[in-house]
Amino acid sequence: MGSAEVSGAGAGEGEVAVDVQNVTFVYPDGTVALRGVNLRIERGEFLAFIGQNGSGKTTLSKVIAGLLKPTEGRALVFGMDTREAKTSYLATKVGYIFQNPDHQLFNDTVYNEVAYGPRNLKLPPEEVEERVREAMRIAGLSDEYREEHPFFLSKGLRQRVAIASILAMRPSVIIVDEPTTGQDFKQSIEIMDFLTDLNRQGYTIIIITHDMPIVARYARRTVVMADGEILMDAPTRKVFEEAEVLERAFIKPPQITLLADALADLGAPRGALTPWELVEWVRGIAGESGSGRVKEINKGG
Amino acid sequence: MPVIRMENFGWRYEGQERWALRGVNLSVEQGEFVAIVGPNDSGKSTLVMAMNGLIPNNYYGVIEGSVVVKGMDTREHPVADIARHVGFVFSDPESQFLSMTVEEEVVFGLENIGLDVDEIRERVEWSLGLAHIPMDYLEKPPYELSGGQKQRVAIASILAMRPEIIILDEPTSMLDPVGKTEVIEVLREMRRSYNATIIVVEHRMEDIAPLADRFILVHDGRVLRDAPPREFFDDIDFLLEHGVFPPEPMVFVSELRKMGLYDGPIPLTLEEAISASREALSGLRGR
Repeated sequence: MGSAEVSGAGAGEGEVAVDVQNVTFVYPDGTVALRGVNLRIERGEFLAFIGQNGSGKTTLSKVIAGLLKPTEGRALVFGMDTREAKTSYLATKVGYIFQNPDHQLFNDTVYNEVAYGPRNLKLPPEEVEERVREAMRIAGLSDEYREEHPFFLSKGLRQRVAIASILAMRPSVIIVDEPTTGQDFKQSIEIMDFLTDLNRQGYTIIIITHDMPIVARYARRTVVMADGEILMDAPTRKVFEEAEVLERAFIKPPQITLLADALADLGAPRGALTPWELVEWVRGIAGESGSGRVKEINKGG
Repeated sequence: MPVIRMENFGWRYEGQERWALRGVNLSVEQGEFVAIVGPNDSGKSTLVMAMNGLIPNNYYGVIEGSVVVKGMDTREHPVADIARHVGFVFSDPESQFLSMTVEEEVVFGLENIGLDVDEIRERVEWSLGLAHIPMDYLEKPPYELSGGQKQRVAIASILAMRPEIIILDEPTSMLDPVGKTEVIEVLREMRRSYNATIIVVEHRMEDIAPLADRFILVHDGRVLRDAPPREFFDDIDFLLEHGVFPPEPMVFVSELRKMGLYDGPIPLTLEEAISASREALSGLRGR
């Protein structure tokens, strides 16, 4: 499981992958979805965008992916303004994986689906083949699926095909919309561990999600949105300590964080993100107070 | 007499080698609130579709054993007969909204069973009240409703038929957090003021644990656990091994128990978890 401990917002060292500058976005029907948003993301970060439906988090992600162009302000992807960049350039920098893989899959075989992007880039066949092979391997799809029709695969596998088709473009930033919706506990962990693995290989990962325990476990940095604005942008632990800000965004922190807060007067770590953090804390104080009971049990177990 | 009784029930979908469910023995009493949990594809939906006769009547496959609902063997009675007693709510509110307005949606079934106008009016008010839908929503078309509101209208239209048994198959899984909370509130209200049998398949255990009389764990086509919540959650590791993640405060208190710091019951709510943790830790701090 991902450590939520490492670096947080604006570590300030690495290459800037995404630079959103004072972006306002207005939909054609007049809905103002983003109001003067600023956000800088470095290569190799793992972020979560959280907020209610209509808070602007999906619009912001689509602006970053270049799928929507800012009404005002600008969005830079590796220094290139998304309004000036070619779609094919953007597709090799930022990949966007939709919540429902079926909104994205349209080819008759897994191979054709994954090869679609690279072919569009007019890459030579050997290169296409190599990319498909690589993308399928990273996404955990064995060769036996190459000629399968995506429609007949399970939802979990279809999601992997969607991810592979994005990976084949070798984007350095991957945005995943609601990776765990409709998945059970084990499937959610599998997908998130997979994204963590990509992150370790150097991919920048952004998840858009309502699933707070998943945010707590995996995202190092969390951006809280409400009403088209960024309410808070900080290391995840810090975000979950700010109950009042979350309340303004209509977000409930994970229950384990609330439990830790309620035990703060006993010295529980504020903003605890998993039960195991609280267990570590208890082990610590049990050790201090010299309670032999606990030590014996630990040895035994 | 139980309202639902399954005896050695099994079901294999046509063309599949694996049994979706097998060897299921359980009965549900009138007025019980039953939660069904388990990983995806473990057989939960098959189980609830067998409880309203959709299986075996509307699917091809092989059946074993029997399911008796309100005295009717589902192999001998059409779904329409069983549906008079059993309402069914699906996870996707879009798929079940058939009408142009909220009113039509809720009234449709009532007109079909030939109720008079006063009775219809009374039932509409009652069911919308239960589902927390304001009366001035009656004229609204579905596209003006949020996901949570649509799901509540779907529930209201089922409630209006006053079924003795109501089954909800992952009613919150497609909804955002606000929608999820709204639907959970409706379940709470139903629990409080409607004496029906409620059967819900739901992943959100932190909300359901304090409501349910009973939890059933379905895993790999088998019913592995069937117990009141306190007992069901007593062995947290067993649940984790079978793909079910209990609420995190329960996981923490279970660890306190393993450390020998706590020997009380597993807490079902955050509040209970707070007092259990305090009780366990006070001993430590006091030295």
